[in-house]
Amino acid sequence: MNAILQTLVSTIVQGSILALISIGMTLVYGTLRVLNMAQGVMVMVGGFAAFTVVDRTGASPWLSIAVAVVVTFLLGVLTYYMAVKPLLGRPGVDFEMTAFITTFAVATIVQNIVLMIYGPRQKPFDPLWPGGINITSDVSITYHSMIMAIVAVGALVALGLFLSRSRYGLAITAVAQNLDAARLMGIPARRVYVVTMGIAAALAGIAGVLLAPLYFVYPNAGDLPLLQALIVVIFAGLGSVKGTIYASYIIGFLSAAVAIFWSSAFALPVLYIVILVVLVVRPNGIAGKPQEARL
Amino acid sequence: MLEVEHLRVGYGDAMVIEDMSLTVNEGEFVVVIGPNGHGKTTLLRAISGLLPLKRGSITYRGERIDGKPTESIVGKGLVQIPQGDMLFPDMSVQENLLLGGFVLPSRSERLERLSQVYEIFPRLLERKEQQARTLSGGERRMLALGRGLMTRADLLLIDEPSLGLAPVLVDEVYDRIATIAKSGITVLLVEENFAHVREVADRVVLIENGAVVLQGSVDAVLNDDAVTATYLGLGGDS
Repeated sequence: MNAILQTLVSTIVQGSILALISIGMTLVYGTLRVLNMAQGVMVMVGGFAAFTVVDRTGASPWLSIAVAVVVTFLLGVLTYYMAVKPLLGRPGVDFEMTAFITTFAVATIVQNIVLMIYGPRQKPFDPLWPGGINITSDVSITYHSMIMAIVAVGALVALGLFLSRSRYGLAITAVAQNLDAARLMGIPARRVYVVTMGIAAALAGIAGVLLAPLYFVYPNAGDLPLLQALIVVIFAGLGSVKGTIYASYIIGFLSAAVAIFWSSAFALPVLYIVILVVLVVRPNGIAGKPQEARL
Repeated sequence: MLEVEHLRVGYGDAMVIEDMSLTVNEGEFVVVIGPNGHGKTTLLRAISGLLPLKRGSITYRGERIDGKPTESIVGKGLVQIPQGDMLFPDMSVQENLLLGGFVLPSRSERLERLSQVYEIFPRLLERKEQQARTLSGGERRMLALGRGLMTRADLLLIDEPSLGLAPVLVDEVYDRIATIAKSGITVLLVEENFAHVREVADRVVLIENGAVVLQGSVDAVLNDDAVTATYLGLGGDS
């Protein structure tokens, strides 16, 4: 019973964080048809931005979330200009594959710059709210993990409202659903690309701050989130926002269940087996559709 | 109003249009007629800036627009209603329409246009919350037309509005297009079937293999027996 409760709590927390990181990859894939390999370092940079603010100025960790959002948004925009824009509309260039590699290159460069500045050591980051409550004698929930879930879900709801209600949000969705039609409506596709990459990075940046107290802040902190996000978006079906949300909680549940009932060492291998089976049975994921090419 | 001069355009190395020149005057209803695969859609895509030109120029109201991004061309009032509707399938009718007015800066202006479009297409008002993908073929075409009207269009490019529609719906669609044209909007429309447009066109341009072969008023074109036999499939019996 306690193990089941623990799994449930873990699923909600992990699933929400996974959704926050993966939804950015989904948005970028939806609008640009690029598998953004720089999404992982945004998690890491978000953590470092928050760490730096708290460490240097002694400011509240809550304020550091805002700083992390701004820093990662700008880094997302920079990634677009460095790795994506130069490839757009070039005849004879396999855009998807090349951008996959260039975003990976940016990720590696950013990672090494952070390594040069901060060194390889893990830096501690205090929970946003220390302490916790015991639900039963064995099951406890830290306040921080509650905050993780609340902030992550809050950010996702805000994103959902932005995408479905605002003029620019609808434009992002329009570009994802039909690029030519969107352009014929006068929607500036390239500006939509920039904004989308900024928002995607900022969402990962928020996740980075939330994860920092659990996994510390260090240059490779984005590697595991990237792997997990890749699993989620492929499992979901590339480009599907709803599918990504479902997939995040399914993957969150699977890794929590494997870790709690078996061993955390097996969580990732089990996920890879699941993803292999899903891709063989449904090559477009649980909610994906075949995609058109980008210009 | 619109001058296309020595247009050469294609996909990769394959040229669809070799050398085409065409003029549309303000207030005119011009129809480009030609068989499938002879460059009609390509012409409209090039005008809207969706395809880069290999050679030639496109001038709109005295200003070169070739090479300009599509959104700035739309912003100048040159709006295209593309072939096959190209709706946003997972959005509601109203969301599709509001996106049609994306270039309008103020929300109140978008809402005002929206109510005007609903006046022309009452059916869309009935279905405003419905997902675009669930509409019937005729409704989808009406939505595509309505979405094109959301912008302040001065020149409307319409790509084969009859495509895939039942004959009775084709008449209805052309009826609406005629109404739109009468409201003062200049129209450049491409169509495969001459019979659909003989009532509405001021001028007809026949194209074949990416080049203009003949143009003139509906009557003039109809009186050219050789042309009617060869290009229009009317056998010269009109």
